[in-house]
Amino acid sequence: MRLPAFEYLEPRDRQEALDYLARYSENASILAGGSDLLVRMKQRLVRTSYVISLKHLKDLDGIRPDEDGRLCLGSNTPLVSIIRSPLLQGAYRGLTDAIRRIGAPPIQHYRGTIGGNLCLETRCLYYNQSAFWRSGRPRCQKDGGEICYAEENSDRCRSANVSDGACALMALDAEIVLESREGERSLPIEEFFTGKGESPFARSPDELVTTIRLPAPETAFGSSFRKLTYRSAIDFALVSASAGVKVEAGRIARARIAVGGAGAAPLLLREASEKLLGKSPEDGDAVAETAAQAGRHAAAFMVDNLGATLEYRQKMAAVLVRKAVQEALARAENGNARGRRER
Amino acid sequence: MDKEFTYIGKRVPRVDSLSRVTGEAVFAADLKLPRMLVGKVKRSHVAHARIVRVDTSKAERLRGVKAVVTGRDTAGVKWGVFRYTQDMEFLPRDKVRYFGEEIAAVAAVDEDTALEALELIEVELEELPAVFTPLDAMASEGPWIHDEYPNNVNVHVEINVGDVEKGFEESYLVREDTFTAAEDDYFMGEPFAVVARFDDGGNLEMWTPNAGPHMKAKPLSNALRMPLNKVRVRKIAIGGAFGGRSEISPADYICALLARKSARPVKLIYTREENTVNVRMGHALITTIKTGVDREGRVLARDITCYMDGGAYSSTGPIATSVPFLCMEQAYRMENVRYNGYRIFTNKPVRGMIRMHGRSFACGVDLQLDRLGEELGIDPVTMRLRNARKAGETTPTGSVVSSCGLTECIEKAAEKIEWRKKYGNLPPWRGIGIGINSVQTGFPLGIRGGSQAFIKFNEDGGVTLNSGVVDNGQGNDQMLVQVVAEELGLPLEDVNLITADTELTANDPGSYSMVSTFAGGNAARLAAIDAREKLFRIAAEALEANPADLVLKDRKIFVAGSPDRFLPLTKVVRMGLIQGRPVSGEGHFAPKVDHRREWVSNPHGQLSEAFSFGATVAEVEVDPDTGQVRVLEVAAAQDCGFAINPMVVEGQFEGSVAMGGQGGMLTEYHFWDGGRCMNPTQLEYKVPLAADMPRIHPIIVESNDPGGPYGAKEAGMSIAMSAAQAYASAIADAIGVTITDFPMTPDKILEAIEKRRQEERK
Amino acid sequence: MKKIPVSMTVNDDEVDIYVPAHWTLLDVLREELELTGAKEGCGEGVCGSCTVLMDGHPVRSCLTLAAEARGARVLTVEGLGGPGMELDPLQQAFIEKGAVQCGFCTPGMLMTAKALLDSKPEATEQEVREAISGNICRCTGYAKIVEAILDASHKSET
Repeated sequence: MRLPAFEYLEPRDRQEALDYLARYSENASILAGGSDLLVRMKQRLVRTSYVISLKHLKDLDGIRPDEDGRLCLGSNTPLVSIIRSPLLQGAYRGLTDAIRRIGAPPIQHYRGTIGGNLCLETRCLYYNQSAFWRSGRPRCQKDGGEICYAEENSDRCRSANVSDGACALMALDAEIVLESREGERSLPIEEFFTGKGESPFARSPDELVTTIRLPAPETAFGSSFRKLTYRSAIDFALVSASAGVKVEAGRIARARIAVGGAGAAPLLLREASEKLLGKSPEDGDAVAETAAQAGRHAAAFMVDNLGATLEYRQKMAAVLVRKAVQEALARAENGNARGRRER
Repeated sequence: MDKEFTYIGKRVPRVDSLSRVTGEAVFAADLKLPRMLVGKVKRSHVAHARIVRVDTSKAERLRGVKAVVTGRDTAGVKWGVFRYTQDMEFLPRDKVRYFGEEIAAVAAVDEDTALEALELIEVELEELPAVFTPLDAMASEGPWIHDEYPNNVNVHVEINVGDVEKGFEESYLVREDTFTAAEDDYFMGEPFAVVARFDDGGNLEMWTPNAGPHMKAKPLSNALRMPLNKVRVRKIAIGGAFGGRSEISPADYICALLARKSARPVKLIYTREENTVNVRMGHALITTIKTGVDREGRVLARDITCYMDGGAYSSTGPIATSVPFLCMEQAYRMENVRYNGYRIFTNKPVRGMIRMHGRSFACGVDLQLDRLGEELGIDPVTMRLRNARKAGETTPTGSVVSSCGLTECIEKAAEKIEWRKKYGNLPPWRGIGIGINSVQTGFPLGIRGGSQAFIKFNEDGGVTLNSGVVDNGQGNDQMLVQVVAEELGLPLEDVNLITADTELTANDPGSYSMVSTFAGGNAARLAAIDAREKLFRIAAEALEANPADLVLKDRKIFVAGSPDRFLPLTKVVRMGLIQGRPVSGEGHFAPKVDHRREWVSNPHGQLSEAFSFGATVAEVEVDPDTGQVRVLEVAAAQDCGFAINPMVVEGQFEGSVAMGGQGGMLTEYHFWDGGRCMNPTQLEYKVPLAADMPRIHPIIVESNDPGGPYGAKEAGMSIAMSAAQAYASAIADAIGVTITDFPMTPDKILEAIEKRRQEERK
Repeated sequence: MKKIPVSMTVNDDEVDIYVPAHWTLLDVLREELELTGAKEGCGEGVCGSCTVLMDGHPVRSCLTLAAEARGARVLTVEGLGGPGMELDPLQQAFIEKGAVQCGFCTPGMLMTAKALLDSKPEATEQEVREAISGNICRCTGYAKIVEAILDASHKSET
């Protein structure tokens, strides 16, 4: 499959990249690995005049704690570095577990970057098809038209966020740093996603995601990630779930549950998460109730557009949330134990 | 077989592997010829329509475009595998019948230009009502997809043997179930690609993946109105077939047309999506099976009705409609049986034969047998043993089974997985199951049924074998080399091949009816024996011995029992040249089949000279939370007659478990949005991956067929089918529910588990 | 069509060429350099037939722009071993263990396996299976491929 013609830009540093983005704006696409962008270009889902490669932006490659102890992931950090980083063990295992499940690990992880995965376009089987496949009928909403083929009479695009990294980062309460020539701003991850399938990210065309900031590591915090696929590699999530929980004095003090493969953003399920607060990590009923609620909420966002049956994916949302929460709690408690020993 | 072989029956590495591990092997897409153009096809964007207008003028004016062709450039010849199924124009002039059908094509200096030219072709279509399921197609009031086929019924195969009603009356237990399956697909590694050029003598040369070059040359000669000796389909490395390369492809013809019109070589490479939609795919099936058994579980009567979604054209329709039934009548004894098979046209891509042909049919028969056994208190293995085909018997439609190791396959596969210990005793959500099947080694193919081979000796003692046999990746070339090396006492590297070339090699049935070893191997063997006899006549005079007392080994001709009395082979070859009687060999072999047998009009008589038999046992574990299946172990036993190369045969078994069982029963199926295939690539069509495969125990059973070369028959396909059946049976055992819609994806398994739980609560 | 200069090392050869900016590394290898060992099996980064090593790491050459390979060391199956060169132990093992059937996936499979054994000479069966899970083979059921890679890994130990 042949790519359409475009001009290739290779900024030497961050400033040059931001200059290009300011100059070419909507006419430019950012190449941050390529396994999403180039396929969509081959399918003529993206028509872009300029491709801006982040290849030389070495200062965006790396994992460093800042002065407040928060962990800063450069957006251009390869997935393989995320998996191998000693800084991302313990509390952040939800993220590394998620990254391990992306694509075909041994291959895509050298080219794929965390920023690229965070900005994985939302997907829908009626949209992610070749130009020929989509021909012969009006364009869908994500393709610039007015129809939704996934859900009859839908007034909006129902494509789903299936980024494993985004789902895990949602549960970890990450912060997304965007830069443009005008300056820098940071958004809580839930604000980075618009929830709109047609334009899923709050990034303006002249902005570059430069950093993903994670809260400082803490003891008695655990995170986890679960993904449902038919095969052990290659596949995008049919549905996924991630949890981040903090245990204090034998009670759950904080919880963030996210579900992917449902809405146009990784869904942050606040109400369901709150059900866990104050409960004992051993309280199986509370976990089950939380999972059921999370499943109901996530199910409301899903339509039949990612493969498998809709009913199955809806059912599995609750199952994955339950497993993710259980695992995060177990990790938080193990962290606790280790923390005590360390003291 | 008490003869001591040097190569036959040995695990020797394949001679063609070297070029594949170094990247030197040339597949069609790898070819580059001087001044070669790039071809691309313009396709229908609706599923059913009359072609009103195709305007190519803008495309023709684009710089770099060297030829544009449409139906107007054709002679309007219709292709069909049979005289009575000629319904397909390679570039239709009046009507398109599925989303993606060929309408026009371009040849341009490069791919970018060719793609741009496609956009400039204006196509006006008058859309017609389309039908996408067999039941809708039969209920449709028209317009029919083909005027000649009312109600869109393409093929009806009817078989009625014995007295089915009486059989049911005499049965102790009768069950009727309906099984369904979506389309499955080949997903061979290599996407289709073809290169065509006309040489200075006006001869067409073509390189294209095929399962029989002669099966491509003849329709090309018809459609292009060229004599057959001017159509030269050349040998090329082929990246898998599995039934999907059995026929001429419209793109073969289109590429030739573009090459003729542009007077330049043209290469046309399919995208993965085109390889899925525009090659062939498996049929979707609805199969209703009614079976009656006696108290011991012996089948007394069976009545089967099957509706197959055939897509837009006949293709191999009569064969495709028959084979699922024939496999079962070979595998299982049944005296009273009725079969009504219907192939129905729909406005979907064309369906053909596939390695796991008719999964709802085969799995249905086996799952139903399990349930009947359950009601009778007889375990699945015993049910199989009581009904399994045995050598010397005759199938319901009249084929004598000359060799059959099915009982041994069942016993060995069951023993390997410790069936007796495990069945009924596994922990919750674990299950074990068995499937059995049988596959033809060849069909009645009329003039195409036989293979002919020639051997030429070089003055240095090396030989060249000339044979029409084609290798799609399964190892047919290796088979030929081993046979010739064995018969002529030569090392493998002394045997060179000229194969699968319609100019240079003689008739051959191709690989699509699983007959390559049986027909092509026998022909090569006979050619080698013919050459050896000539060598022996020359050597016998020089050695003053009786030709019957000579043996050939290690490039030497010996007098048997006298290791000192020998002549180097090279010397004998040279003696032949000097004496004016050069050594060569000719061999031909046609399997003994009943040529009066016809798929629809007369489905009786010897179908195939030999049949392979397979039994697979699988053990699985189901996750009751997600419905996902982990396959723990698989034992795959097949009677392949004789394993000419056990390593190659094992490879066939293992690949068959992956395609038939792991993929075919767990994850592989097409789904649709009207006529659009929702999963045309490997991203959403879930071909198995390395980490998901179970441990496989290949078990070779050798019944030594009297007609096969060294006793060999078909190898591997009986496993693809029986593996699917075993997986289905094992999952049913694990969850306590029989799922009747295939493949058994996690959503269906979970739904079945939940339904069972609800019923248990009641 | 705008062309850009691409300099890289391919199988020990210095390559300096001008190619259209929208060409992938696979386009360059197959069409410009006539190294057709890497295959296009899907064009969307799924099947793994186009896998080559870039600076020692396996990449999908169909989803790698030629421009992105500038300055890189690229190793294709042609550089692994073959005419005029010793065969790599992996190539030898693929032949001997019957890991090759149609051979279309073989070059990509070998390159992925090469990267695995370079970084992990004593890979376990599970590690091998996971490593090649991005390389689809339709013929073999992977059994003999896994066996061959393990065999080569044992050989490289000695």
